[in-house]
Amino acid sequence: MKGKIKLRPGFAAAMLFPFVFGAVLMLLLGYDPVEAYRELFKGAFVGNFNLGTTLEKFCPIFLTALAYCVTSKVKYFNMGVEGCFYLGALFSAGAGFLIQGLPWYIHIPICFLCGTLVGAVWAAIPGALRAYLNVNELCAALLMNYVAIHFANFMIAGPWSAKGASSQTAPIEKSAELLRIMKPSRANVGLFMALFLYAAIFWMFRRTKLGYRLNATGTNSYFTDYVGVDAKRMVLLATILSGAIGGFAGSIQTMGVYGTIIDGFSNNTAFDGMLASLIANNSFAQLPIYSFLIAALKSGALGMERFTGVPKALIDTLIPILILLLNMEGLFDFKHLRKRRKKKIAEIGKEGA
Amino acid sequence: MTLLPYIKLDHIVKQFGSVKAVDDCSIEVRKGEIFSLIGENGAGKSTMMKLLYGIHRPDQGLIQLDGQTLEDLTPQKAIACGIGMVHQEFMLVKEFTVLENIILGFEPKGPMGRIDFAAAREKVQRYIDDYSLDVQPDKLVQNISVGEAQRVEIIKTLYRGANVLILDEPTAVLTPGETKQFFDILRSMRDDGKTIIFISHKLHEVLEISDRIGVMRRGKYMATLDRPEATAEKLVNLMVGRNVEMSDRPSPCHPGPVVLEVQDLEVLGQRWLSTIKKVSFHLCAGEILGVAGVDGNGQSELVDAICGLRPILAGSVKLTGREMAGKKAGQLRKAGLAHIPEDRNTRGLNKEFTINENLVAIHLEEVSRGELLDRKKIAQKGKELIEKYDIRPADGELKAGTLSGGNAQKIVVAREIESGGKLLIAAQPTRGVDIGAIESIRGYLNRAKEQGVAVLLISADLDEIIALSDRIIVLHEGRISGELPGGDVDMERLGLLMTGGKSDEG
Repeated sequence: MKGKIKLRPGFAAAMLFPFVFGAVLMLLLGYDPVEAYRELFKGAFVGNFNLGTTLEKFCPIFLTALAYCVTSKVKYFNMGVEGCFYLGALFSAGAGFLIQGLPWYIHIPICFLCGTLVGAVWAAIPGALRAYLNVNELCAALLMNYVAIHFANFMIAGPWSAKGASSQTAPIEKSAELLRIMKPSRANVGLFMALFLYAAIFWMFRRTKLGYRLNATGTNSYFTDYVGVDAKRMVLLATILSGAIGGFAGSIQTMGVYGTIIDGFSNNTAFDGMLASLIANNSFAQLPIYSFLIAALKSGALGMERFTGVPKALIDTLIPILILLLNMEGLFDFKHLRKRRKKKIAEIGKEGA
Repeated sequence: MTLLPYIKLDHIVKQFGSVKAVDDCSIEVRKGEIFSLIGENGAGKSTMMKLLYGIHRPDQGLIQLDGQTLEDLTPQKAIACGIGMVHQEFMLVKEFTVLENIILGFEPKGPMGRIDFAAAREKVQRYIDDYSLDVQPDKLVQNISVGEAQRVEIIKTLYRGANVLILDEPTAVLTPGETKQFFDILRSMRDDGKTIIFISHKLHEVLEISDRIGVMRRGKYMATLDRPEATAEKLVNLMVGRNVEMSDRPSPCHPGPVVLEVQDLEVLGQRWLSTIKKVSFHLCAGEILGVAGVDGNGQSELVDAICGLRPILAGSVKLTGREMAGKKAGQLRKAGLAHIPEDRNTRGLNKEFTINENLVAIHLEEVSRGELLDRKKIAQKGKELIEKYDIRPADGELKAGTLSGGNAQKIVVAREIESGGKLLIAAQPTRGVDIGAIESIRGYLNRAKEQGVAVLLISADLDEIIALSDRIIVLHEGRISGELPGGDVDMERLGLLMTGGKSDEG
């Protein structure tokens, strides 16, 4: 329940290995790995634009990771964040260009409200099905993603289309746009909102009755029911919260990054978020680190591809390897293995004596 | 019987983390005897036997069988050496028949690699006949009784060629009648030259069955007593180092108004046997009502239904006059229900939570301001209860999962008794708990009764029912087969009611 960051033996090895593996792949493909990794690093961190792009990518990955993490606390494997993310983006875009003539301090909250609410409702459907009818949440939520994505695409191409060359909605009103930071990148104040939301939820889980009950549900639902808390309701609540965060993340994309909503804008953002949460072992404390790592890899890969020709798909292969290895960290626990072997040798020696 | 040691556990040390489970213990068991190992929970009996069976390896010390040192013992090797163990929890595949379970992993092979069931059946039948074991080889395991399952486990170990049988608290699940029969089986096996190691913490059983008795306390081996020199007092002294007062009569009872009234309750159970069929009873303030019965006759279902954790098919449950059937656990708790569940490991405790967090689980309102938990208040409440109920180690920030059975149970007991409920349901409150903790938990129940709480006590331990109950009802096959006054209980009648009025079946 309380994730502590500590330097674990084998951790560095697990972190390093995918990059070594990537280097070998690059060599086999005829690229220079040193050059490629240098560009990767530069592409992620050096310069306002690059660092800003990393932060821009960080924000939705981080929030969707948070959304995933919230439901993981009640042992609910939420594959449906992507759908909420899409709908959140769509509805805040709708509110962004359909409503006109409002001052920003009213318009922005309204857009957020639309995105957040629709995300919450959307996530509540598989949540309720799982909590009360024991429907497999993986299936339900995953399938609902497609409904959400295709519905969004339909709205983008049809009723809400800007009728331009590319498939996108009309640009949202200036009054609904979030302030950009670190120009010329598209990083925006949504980042601070995300960090604030993260802190609030982290705190909620540690310090409030609701947090206690949600934690109890995830660690032992029998206990939760027995002490008189409705575990099913807690599961539903967590999914609603998760969906709301997913929708909120979508709203930030619309209002801060694109200013509109473009067909296929997400490109599995929520799944990257899910991966970040999985690497972090669903620990709130570690979420920012791994979300940032993935964001940096994603944004650096762009630069790498541009300047060295190494396909950025290579980086996308490294991320799952990284996850696998971090989850099997024990493999790299050489020190521990050596100790065990020593102990065994000592034991055998004793028996021989 | 030879007097030379057949099994020798020599200066054994076994440590789990920083806990010395077994500290320099030496045990010698002779061939063809029934050797009992007795001690409180956590004394190291089970650990010692798991070492002999190869589940754990000793950190130090030697294990010898018939003069031969057994090295790097694993259960497979132990079985090959003729050592068999019947565990507390049965390890049977429910969907298989008895015969299939017995031969599982050791199937006699016929032509073309097929299992030779005829040969297996013949071999199994021989054991059944030799020790007159009442076992039906073709029944599915899910349809047999606990007693029968135990006999199946015994045949399983014999089938694997065991000459040494380790039985880990085998009588915990049996009725008095079944226990008696079980002891006859043990004796006939001993007379056949088998060596039997019997782990228990029931004094009278140990005194009845053993040739020699070994006593352990807190990881140390205290002494071996020959049966003639052993007395209950001596054993208790060795086990706990002090005379535990076994109060075996309930304290005076002054019943108040009716707190719980159950009328024609019907609850669907796991099996037909445990389905509750039209059960009615009432319970008054300041009274302990004991529910006796063999495990699996509807006790769990009855408790769950009253506590709102299992749907009620029909009938009514009234708590202080208010209808509670169909209400959820939370509402029942608000109405004054406290519940010590039979399974502390899943329900009673959240092992991922700290002791403090577990202690405040139903007092959340008390330790928070609005929605915000107050850590200071949690720590304070935790400290108070830890001291009052002597929970060890007395560190509220430890995870509940790290505690021993007795102390873990004290967390549950402390939380529930301090909830201030009018009705306390105590299901198997001392199961798997050491003698010291048993005494204190029983004391808490008695104190609750004296303070006017209505206590419903469900226990498989007859001693416990008799020691605490002002009235006793007996559950058999989901029905109440009879009611007895507490105090001087007619044991014979109780035994008959528990087995359904027939004389000892199966």
